[in-house]
Amino acid sequence: MTANAGERVICIRNVSVSYGSRHVLKDIDLDIYRGEILVLLGGSGSGKTTLLKQVLGLLKPDTGTIRINGVDITTCPESELAAIRRHVGVAFQEAALFNSLSVEENVALPLHELTHLADSTISLMVWMKLKAVGLADAAKLFPPQLSGGMRKRAAVARAIALDPAILVLDEPAAGLDPIAAAQIDELVLFLKRAFHMTVLIVSHELVSALHIADRLAMLYQGRLIVVGTREQFLANAHPQVRKFLDRTPDPISRGIAEDFINSYLRAG
Amino acid sequence: MTSPGQAKSPPARWLEYVGALTIQFWTVIRQLRHVFPFLGKPRRWRTTVQQMYAIGASALPMAGTMSFFTGMILALQSAAELRRFGAMELVVNLVAVAFTRELGPLITAIAVSGRSASAISAEIGTMVVTEEVDALRVMGLDPVEFTFAPKYLAALITIPCLTVLSTLSGIFAGYLFLAFSIDMSFRVYVQRAAEAVQLRDVGLTLVKSLAFASIIVQVGCLEGLRVHGGPEGVGRSTTLSVVKATFLIILVDLIATGVFYAMGWSAVE
Repeated sequence: MTANAGERVICIRNVSVSYGSRHVLKDIDLDIYRGEILVLLGGSGSGKTTLLKQVLGLLKPDTGTIRINGVDITTCPESELAAIRRHVGVAFQEAALFNSLSVEENVALPLHELTHLADSTISLMVWMKLKAVGLADAAKLFPPQLSGGMRKRAAVARAIALDPAILVLDEPAAGLDPIAAAQIDELVLFLKRAFHMTVLIVSHELVSALHIADRLAMLYQGRLIVVGTREQFLANAHPQVRKFLDRTPDPISRGIAEDFINSYLRAG
Repeated sequence: MTSPGQAKSPPARWLEYVGALTIQFWTVIRQLRHVFPFLGKPRRWRTTVQQMYAIGASALPMAGTMSFFTGMILALQSAAELRRFGAMELVVNLVAVAFTRELGPLITAIAVSGRSASAISAEIGTMVVTEEVDALRVMGLDPVEFTFAPKYLAALITIPCLTVLSTLSGIFAGYLFLAFSIDMSFRVYVQRAAEAVQLRDVGLTLVKSLAFASIIVQVGCLEGLRVHGGPEGVGRSTTLSVVKATFLIILVDLIATGVFYAMGWSAVE
């Protein structure tokens, strides 16, 4: 387990984002240390995808700074951002594989585009990455021919193609059956052990988060309400954390459900 | 990318649209050098060749047939009038001039816009929805260089070629009509057509077809980028791209023809 004394790889300070009058993120402060797995939890609409896009430099915050390996990506020029991105591998929620390319071509794409390696070296590296995610047999298949879990693993293989120091996974277990989701969890733990990657996971899957995370953070209505180890998280008394842990619905949604059922009964 | 301007008035929205189109146009032009064979990246040129097939070669049967039918219609309609004056052979001039100056590029552009503007916006829109555009950006690859520029170069190369071929197809339809109605020989037809058409007409037509190629690809790409709201958004953008591209093609055609007229380039020497 990594102690908080480690080296900061990602350093988020005072980040706020609003769309019009709606505040999506408010004063976010978060550090991610080298070699740890941090799971960012949060319900739908809590702003976790927005925060992820900020960290990837796809969106710029209204205020605040985000430093990756010491470089402020909110102000640095595009060329420097591209250099930073070489060290960050990303697997998107919908996998975002290119459907016109086979699995191995998808994994080879960043290697072909961003390195000057010989084709034989690239195919060896691709085979190694696919082997690592357990897809060596599916190399020639195309993304639409894969199952949901295989697609996610192929996306991870592409994300680690350039041996990034930081791996970012957006909802890796969303829409997967428990077995496929558990495979992804094991894969993440394996990658951390084998390649010493720093991993940031955005998720709402509590069980998997508690299994793999070194530290957990939770977003609620644009604010970080908890950041801490598994024990600290489980012991946290914040009402939203308790609700998340106990799977208690918000009273409003229960009210809407009751209204709906009542109106349905009346209509019947 | 750009927020849809719901509260803006229609002229403001059109102005914003044309502005966005212009900015995107320059961005693509700046990336175009990466796509050229020998000068650019070989992988981009390979994509360009695939796109040349998708946008250009596979549109040939449709554009050619549409021009052939239009050429036949034009010959039939004009012959009905010209027969009264005993000037049937003027059908040659009419068909040849109308196709070289106007109908060849216009019909080609409309055929390609129906096939490709929609296909391009569907492709880019799906890439936006499935986060492939974001994936390219976080990999450090420029989506403009990676997807837009090859399509644009492919259109710039193939649409003028298509225009020439479909113009020939329309003019050939005129010949078939005259061959059957007044037994005109192919040799005489070609000779008269060549006399009627000036080299300058061909040049101006090719300039027009380059403008049409730009409209088709740029509108297709921009509509794709503006997709929001998942798969239904892709469907909406597909329709919008064809409507907007066709409208802009005819508008630009009017402006170009007006300018050529004002400059005296349409006059017969």
